[in-house]
Amino acid sequence: MSLILVGLSHKNAPLGVRENLAVLSQAKVFERLREAGASEAVVLSTCNRYELYVCFNGVESKPPSWALNLLEKISGMSLSAHAYQRGGPGAVEHLFSVASGLDSLVVGETEILGQVKDAYEAAVAAKMTGKYSNVLFQRALYVGKKVRNDTGVAVGQTSTASVAVQLAETIFGSLRGSSVLILGAGSMAELTARHLQSHKVAELLISNRTFSRAAGLAGEMKAEAIAWQMFPEALKKVDIVVSSTGSEKPILTADMVRSALEARAGRSLFIIDIAMPRDVEEAAAELDHVYLYRLEDLESIVADNLKNRGGEVRLAQELVAAKAKEFCAWESTLGTGKEASLKHSEAV
Amino acid sequence: MFCLKAAFALYAAATALAFTYLFSKDEKWSLWMLRLMGVGVAFHVASFGFRLALFWQIPENKYFLPINSFFGALSYLSLAVAAVFFVVEGRHRLGILGAFVLPWATIGAGAAVIFADPAIKGLSPALQSYWINIHPMVLMTAYAAFGNAFGVGVALLIQEHQIKSRKPTELCYRLPSIEELDNLNYRIIVFGFPVLTVGIIMGGIWAYNAWGRFWGWDAKETWAFITALIYAGFLHMRFVKGLRGRKAVYVSMIGFASVVFTFIGVNYLSELHGYLSGRG
Repeated sequence: MSLILVGLSHKNAPLGVRENLAVLSQAKVFERLREAGASEAVVLSTCNRYELYVCFNGVESKPPSWALNLLEKISGMSLSAHAYQRGGPGAVEHLFSVASGLDSLVVGETEILGQVKDAYEAAVAAKMTGKYSNVLFQRALYVGKKVRNDTGVAVGQTSTASVAVQLAETIFGSLRGSSVLILGAGSMAELTARHLQSHKVAELLISNRTFSRAAGLAGEMKAEAIAWQMFPEALKKVDIVVSSTGSEKPILTADMVRSALEARAGRSLFIIDIAMPRDVEEAAAELDHVYLYRLEDLESIVADNLKNRGGEVRLAQELVAAKAKEFCAWESTLGTGKEASLKHSEAV
Repeated sequence: MFCLKAAFALYAAATALAFTYLFSKDEKWSLWMLRLMGVGVAFHVASFGFRLALFWQIPENKYFLPINSFFGALSYLSLAVAAVFFVVEGRHRLGILGAFVLPWATIGAGAAVIFADPAIKGLSPALQSYWINIHPMVLMTAYAAFGNAFGVGVALLIQEHQIKSRKPTELCYRLPSIEELDNLNYRIIVFGFPVLTVGIIMGGIWAYNAWGRFWGWDAKETWAFITALIYAGFLHMRFVKGLRGRKAVYVSMIGFASVVFTFIGVNYLSELHGYLSGRG
């Protein structure tokens, strides 16, 4: 039993090459592997990486370069300049590291764990897995979860939009009942709005100086567009305001906020000003129940979170290495009749 | 006495764990806090049982609860806070609030152990009434509630300051949200206020039976009235003016200061409720 890996990732392969690999038919790859006698294989294809894990069962195993050649033939591209190749324990450790988010563009991100799971399930559906690859990939998912639980690599949000959402939750708890007012119809406003919408906010209002743009964005996002001169009125009822207009002068003055507060019965108002130059008068931050965050506040929280993650990476790498070693020890007992147990004992 | 000391030590240890949990994210601290609290409450109940047995050895005390002294009152009060927190924590796992609530149980038990006189005396004839099993208990349940509201209020002030500062620390993401804390503070007071009011009215009825008047502006009565007024003011401002957040917490904290004064300070002033000064 032996595992080989060939892969290309954001670290050393240009986007164009990764894009060409991403569109390869997985069925075709599996078919060619079967013809060559490889019975177990998983293709992990995301926008940041393309990786082919192959294991040979009972037949003579091949070196990682064999997988590279096969991939070059299928894709019709020369890949050796960008690809990395691993075999045996190195390949196991690499998979665990990927599942843990340590190889990701944003270290510790959790999306990759779902992508590993999807890749594995696709292989299961194509009947390209067996005992070895089943244990390997289930183990990888377990290690990915464990690393995120036991170390700080995944602590803290790493985009301004997600930090804004997290802050909103520290004010309101669940955002399910919250209503949001978006000022401006630019891409930053849209991004933050989409993040908030994914947390199932109750109501989304969009206002823009040019009404047609607000209406356009509102149509895309199942939101409600309101006329520009009506937004001070909306301030009385919304919980969260996201402002990102291109205005030269502040469009949301402290006086406007103050008069809205009178009608709010002490409810908190969270204002996110991501415009440059500023959209919201600084004096508004002094008002009771008003929490004003500017783009640079969000960015400095993101920077802190990333800094904290960095220190945890070493800890995570050690954990990944230890788990890879444990897996390889199990692997070496396969077929000896005295199979070592590989419990997820600490997982619970 | 040994049991109460053990309970006090366990509460103190649990409080220390609660603070450790506040600043580290390791669940094990929270779990150990809960375990120590459980054992502490068990010791405390045992201590209460032993004390009851001793208390009932005096014939005229039979079937009355030993709450006529400052020691008895403090012990019962801290037991109520600890037991309520233990139940709530066991169910809802709000471990993070332990650091704000448990100090009150610890201080109550500690004050009983260190400062209060545990001597057991016979009840004076005026106190030999079934009311002694009801009136103080009801009031102390309200006090325990207000103590919890105070702890929640402190958490709210910290959270508010964190978010307002624009530089939230890790703590910010671990505390409940401002709105949740605000609601919790309010809900506890909504529960505590009628209990307090009923307790005061019961006292009036007992006073009518024992002393022939419903209300006499005794210092304890006066301060209990002031406490009730402050919390009534809190609820009024909340309902009518929408008072929330930081300022609401200030009002509820003034209310709690009044509770503490009614419970402890007034004993030096009151002729009729002076169990601390030994005059009651």
